Amino acid sequence: MTDMSQATVRVSDLRKTFYDESRGEVHAVDGLSFDCHPGEVFGLLGANGAGKTTTLRMLSTVLKPSGGTASVMGHDIERDPEAVRRSLGFYSASTALYPRLTARETIEFFTRINGYPAERVQQRVEELVDRFGIAEYQKGRVDKLSSGMKQKVSIARTMAHDPPVLIFDEPTVGLDVMNALAMVKVIRELKEEGKTIIFSSHIMSEVEKLCDRIGIVHRGKLLALGTLDELRAVTGEHYLEDVFLDYVKRAEGIVGEAEIGPAGALHAAGDELPDRSP
Amino acid sequence: MVNGILIPIFMYPIMLWAVFTGMTFVQGINDGFVSRLAVDGPPPAAHSMLLDTIRGHERIQVREDAADPSVWDAQLAAGELDAIVSFRPIDAGALDDNFAVAVLYDRAEERSRQARERVRRLVDDYRTDWIAGRAESLDVDEAERTVFVLVGENVSSSEDIGQLLLGQMLSFFLVIMVALGCFIPSVDTTAGERERSTWETLMTVSASRSSIVTAKYLYVVTLGMVAGLLNVVAMMISMGAIVRPLLQANDEAIAFSIPLMAAPVMLAGATALALFFGAAMMILAAFARSFKDGQAMVTPVYWLVFIPILLGDQTDVNLSLGTALIPIANITMMIRDAIQGVFLWQWIGLTLAVTMALVVACLLLARQILKFEDFLMGSFDGSFWRFAKEKLFA
Repeated sequence: MTDMSQATVRVSDLRKTFYDESRGEVHAVDGLSFDCHPGEVFGLLGANGAGKTTTLRMLSTVLKPSGGTASVMGHDIERDPEAVRRSLGFYSASTALYPRLTARETIEFFTRINGYPAERVQQRVEELVDRFGIAEYQKGRVDKLSSGMKQKVSIARTMAHDPPVLIFDEPTVGLDVMNALAMVKVIRELKEEGKTIIFSSHIMSEVEKLCDRIGIVHRGKLLALGTLDELRAVTGEHYLEDVFLDYVKRAEGIVGEAEIGPAGALHAAGDELPDRSP
Repeated sequence: MVNGILIPIFMYPIMLWAVFTGMTFVQGINDGFVSRLAVDGPPPAAHSMLLDTIRGHERIQVREDAADPSVWDAQLAAGELDAIVSFRPIDAGALDDNFAVAVLYDRAEERSRQARERVRRLVDDYRTDWIAGRAESLDVDEAERTVFVLVGENVSSSEDIGQLLLGQMLSFFLVIMVALGCFIPSVDTTAGERERSTWETLMTVSASRSSIVTAKYLYVVTLGMVAGLLNVVAMMISMGAIVRPLLQANDEAIAFSIPLMAAPVMLAGATALALFFGAAMMILAAFARSFKDGQAMVTPVYWLVFIPILLGDQTDVNLSLGTALIPIANITMMIRDAIQGVFLWQWIGLTLAVTMALVVACLLLARQILKFEDFLMGSFDGSFWRFAKEKLFA
């Protein structure tokens, strides 16, 4: 097992404000703080528009934060964005592949462009082709592949430069059950290899199955942070769906004081649970 | 590969062959038409031979039997008749029986225009013969009546004529093809990335943003240059193999060759143009969110290019201080002059400097634009103008 003492990803009071013509200033991310560790799957759970993707885009240096700081493998996302990108792989529904490249060319292209040592590129491509069972269709153009095959090539692309941190933003969106299960299996394997994985989803069952710790995000704020058992203990709910709803209702002020139960006494809406990372 | 290399190589020979074959075919069809003429009344009796000549033409069919000539107007309008010919007396004083041949025809119809042309030639020939006959009867020989004639003598060599044609055509096509060569790659590397959702994929790779943008830019510039230069080579081959034999068949001696020094000037011109078109087109297309939008944004630039090209290509003015300051027109003139063997080095230098100044301006603008996160995330409704209004001029 990898050393869990050192945080590979540190997020501190991260903020992102957009200006929208109709809504004015929108605080998409509003003071998020969390750490992630090697060999850990950290889940960001939230409804659509909660701020998960914006957070992950800031971590992957696609967006610049409006406030706060974050680092990946010790590299600050604002001061050293290229080193950050060298240390992470980013997979999301909006990171597509080039349709005219073959599966193998795709992996090779991303291995090279991510600065993997030139003399080891072919060896790395072979490793990834073998690992994800791409050999059979490695010479097929991406636009001719099935969605399951594309998914494998996409994951291989994300891991091309063997980064220690991997971000999966809603990775199972649009996938059928079999492919979604395959994705979950890959993430588990990566965790076993000691990679730090940040997993964002609004699908409760996946988060329940995969994540060592869960951060519940709502309207850009981190409502809670802890293991599933800790969140259960705080809310008194068993299912993650209920846990999530409990926190969201509290944040929205929908439930009364009497209904809040044990969690209400410990954590007001918007507060975080103490970081109890393993 | 197909757009940038194969099409330029094979397009011109095939295109020229198709155009000339088509023209010959259409000409053949037109020549084969029989012109349907209606003749409204005979000419003066002394000139009845003219009517006989018209009647005797193998491709003219004359109708003279209408009870009501107004029927012919309707037939002409309906395309059942090609022209109506009438002979109108002219009171020309000294000359008896003078008359005008009036041809009523439909200019919008090819057959009708051709009927008029056939009548005109017959009348011209008749007039020439009549004048010759009258002169003979008055004992005036041909040398006496042929006075004040214009005799033109061409001092241009066959090479000069070839260079004139090449200078006008190659400079025009080089500029157009460099622009066209940059067009699709500039849209593909920007708006195309957004449409395919590969934009964000690229933004998360560890290569620096500036190196990604530079790589894209160099790709666009290289394709623009290659497309432009390959087109020029293909055109030269086509001109030599297809156009020259056709022109020589008309007894026009033409030699297609260009001075050796024109090659580096053309290369420099194509490079400067590709750098400019690549930068300008990428800036505009980068705002679009789909390939189609990108094309729509870049197309006006492409068409605007024609104005300075025509200015530079269609005048006889050589490159000068004034013309060297007009973007695109200056490069067109520089290339045209070089092909025609005129090398005004100080203005060539100024032309390249002006174009490179534009390139630098575009690159500085691109650098400014890339600083805006909203741009990177595809905001501004895909509009450069909205971005300029809200960010640059705000």
